[in-house]
Amino acid sequence: MGKPKERRILYENIDAPDMHTLDVYRRHGGYASLEKLFDLNAEQLLDIVRDSGLRGRGGAGVSAGFKWNLMGQGEPKYLIANADESEPGTFSNRYILQHKPHMLIEGMIIAAWSLGVHKAYVYVRGEFTLGKKRLDAAIQEAYEAGILGESVAGHDFALDIYTHAGAGAYICGEETGLIESLEGKRGQPRVKPPFFPAAIGVFMQPTMVHNVETLSNLPYIINNGTEWYQSLGAVYKDTPRGVDPMNTGTKLYCVSGHVEKPGVYEVEMGLTVRELVELAGGVRGGNEVKAVIPGGSSAPVLTPYELDVPVDFTCLQMAKTMLGSGGIIVMDETTCTVRALENLMDFYAHESCGQCTPCRVGTPWTRDIVARIEAGKGRPGDVDHLIEVANNVANIDTFTWNTICVFGIAVSWPAVSFARKFRPEFEAHIEQGKCVTLPVSEAVAPPEENYAWPQELPEVERKPTWDY
Amino acid sequence: MAFEFTPERLAQFHELLTHYPEEHARAAMLPTLHLAQEQNGYLSQDVQAYVAGLLGVSEAQVLDVVTFYPMFFDAPVGKHIVRVCKTLSCDLCGCREIIEHIKERLEVDFDETTEDGSVTLLSSECLAACDQAPVMMINDDLHGRLTLERVDELMDALE
Ligand SMILES: Cc1cc2nc3c(=O)[nH]c(=O)nc-3n(C[C@H](O)[C@H](O)[C@H](O)COP(=O)(O)O)c2cc1C
Ligand code: SF4
Ligand code: FES
Repeated sequence: MGKPKERRILYENIDAPDMHTLDVYRRHGGYASLEKLFDLNAEQLLDIVRDSGLRGRGGAGVSAGFKWNLMGQGEPKYLIANADESEPGTFSNRYILQHKPHMLIEGMIIAAWSLGVHKAYVYVRGEFTLGKKRLDAAIQEAYEAGILGESVAGHDFALDIYTHAGAGAYICGEETGLIESLEGKRGQPRVKPPFFPAAIGVFMQPTMVHNVETLSNLPYIINNGTEWYQSLGAVYKDTPRGVDPMNTGTKLYCVSGHVEKPGVYEVEMGLTVRELVELAGGVRGGNEVKAVIPGGSSAPVLTPYELDVPVDFTCLQMAKTMLGSGGIIVMDETTCTVRALENLMDFYAHESCGQCTPCRVGTPWTRDIVARIEAGKGRPGDVDHLIEVANNVANIDTFTWNTICVFGIAVSWPAVSFARKFRPEFEAHIEQGKCVTLPVSEAVAPPEENYAWPQELPEVERKPTWDY
Repeated sequence: MAFEFTPERLAQFHELLTHYPEEHARAAMLPTLHLAQEQNGYLSQDVQAYVAGLLGVSEAQVLDVVTFYPMFFDAPVGKHIVRVCKTLSCDLCGCREIIEHIKERLEVDFDETTEDGSVTLLSSECLAACDQAPVMMINDDLHGRLTLERVDELMDALE
């Protein structure tokens, strides 16, 4: 087997000089999809998107076609691009805004035409000053070229796109928190149901919220068709495409932490965790891997025993974690897993929006337990205590939560998975009353104790194009 | 004197209002506060009252928003805002040492302003630039792959 290979589609030519301008984007084939788009009606487009297998890249991985099908009937309808990108370990949307903003605009035009939307917003993370500047300039260029406005590309269809800057709150990435924020309020998530803003969203109207990466896939699907899109990504042995759960397309994996070449790697879904680490130059200094977070900081951590899991929606879910936002954080043998968890719990304690008690109180409580273990002041029984408190915010075994939004799960997933999988290292801190970084072989609990997978993972069919 | 937008900013504000349905002027809250903070440096009670008046909401509703979002300041801040990322990927790549160094050099802790009023130091959660860890922002600009030397250069360049 050769080395894994990048397959750039969204990130194709992203480094080309001035790719953020209309001229250069067009010269590389940009906006070609608009020539086909207006010959297709809403029903045909829904079929195309559903059949492509495209799933949301923002975190939950909901099928785009499924969501489009739930879009309410009321007028007006809205479209929101979620460019809040604040899940720790994730940084692929930033580069799209900075270097290929027209791709997002093109994707938004496709979604807007398909869903009958005439007003769309891009909710841009407040700290993305350069990205917002480039996107604003691109939108301006698009208006001037007649690609946006009263008559999109000369067709009888009006679309306005506005950018809206956030102001530094992680929870505004959650789609209903985002909507509250867009309405000029605190970014506190709404009570469900409705489970999707497609029913009732911004200004109480039907609203489609998609991540920047999800929308950026649309031009390529329209240009090349569903069959082409379906040919990309994981196919399971003995399971014909169309029957297996969809893991089509490429994914922008953000690899950071202890690797030689951190960065965004676009590959077809289906490569393993180990291969992605290798793609990012391998672990720094040839060190041993101790832990890998596969899908942004909210995703349960993986141990060195679990590195052959294919990084796609289905397999990661079977391995009791998730693809999430595609943020892969690699930790080598020098890492103290207690300290790593303390860092994450600090983040969540700071970012809880505060409207539900289990999350507002339970998150800092969880953080405090981890902090005292790390400081050498842990008490016997603290690991179980930690797991219990976190599981009372949201229970990772029954997958139920006592909170308004799934931020609760995002807290207890890392908390419980770190505590269980690296229990020996946690216990060593408590026993020795100080921070101890154990060698990998001693730090990790054996797999059969805590994370035996319920089923055999499906075998992904290797494609010749995946290797050199 | 009470706060008012400059004529250019007032025009920008009126343009902003056109982005939202007429009966939802409140939706312009965040962009309007960004605009006001750009002019005044921070959102004093005066500024908040002015924004409330423009948007036709109560001052309490403005305060509610100002206190929720970390990027809005309700008290004066330094001429430069320095935000250092402290989340996991940056921590794995040595941000603690960088943070200690900056604190010593500026003689401030997080959320404090230097005595000469030049720099306010803030911690930040993941800035979505983990590939360049460790990172910080100085005002609107992101700086990555920080080393102690690079931090010194950047600090020297600040007035
Ligand atoms: C706590 C929390 C934070 C989130 N942050 C983001 C984010 O920064 N960007 C994003 O696109 N989705 C984020 N999401 C997911 C959104 O709620 C929403 O599912 C997504 O934007 C839908 O887009 P998709 O269908 O294209 O994935 C977050 C969810 C939660 C619960
Ligand atoms: S779970 Fe946490 S973040 Fe989500 S609504 Fe409740 S308090 Fe807010
Ligand atoms: S952790 Fe610092 S930029 Fe992501």
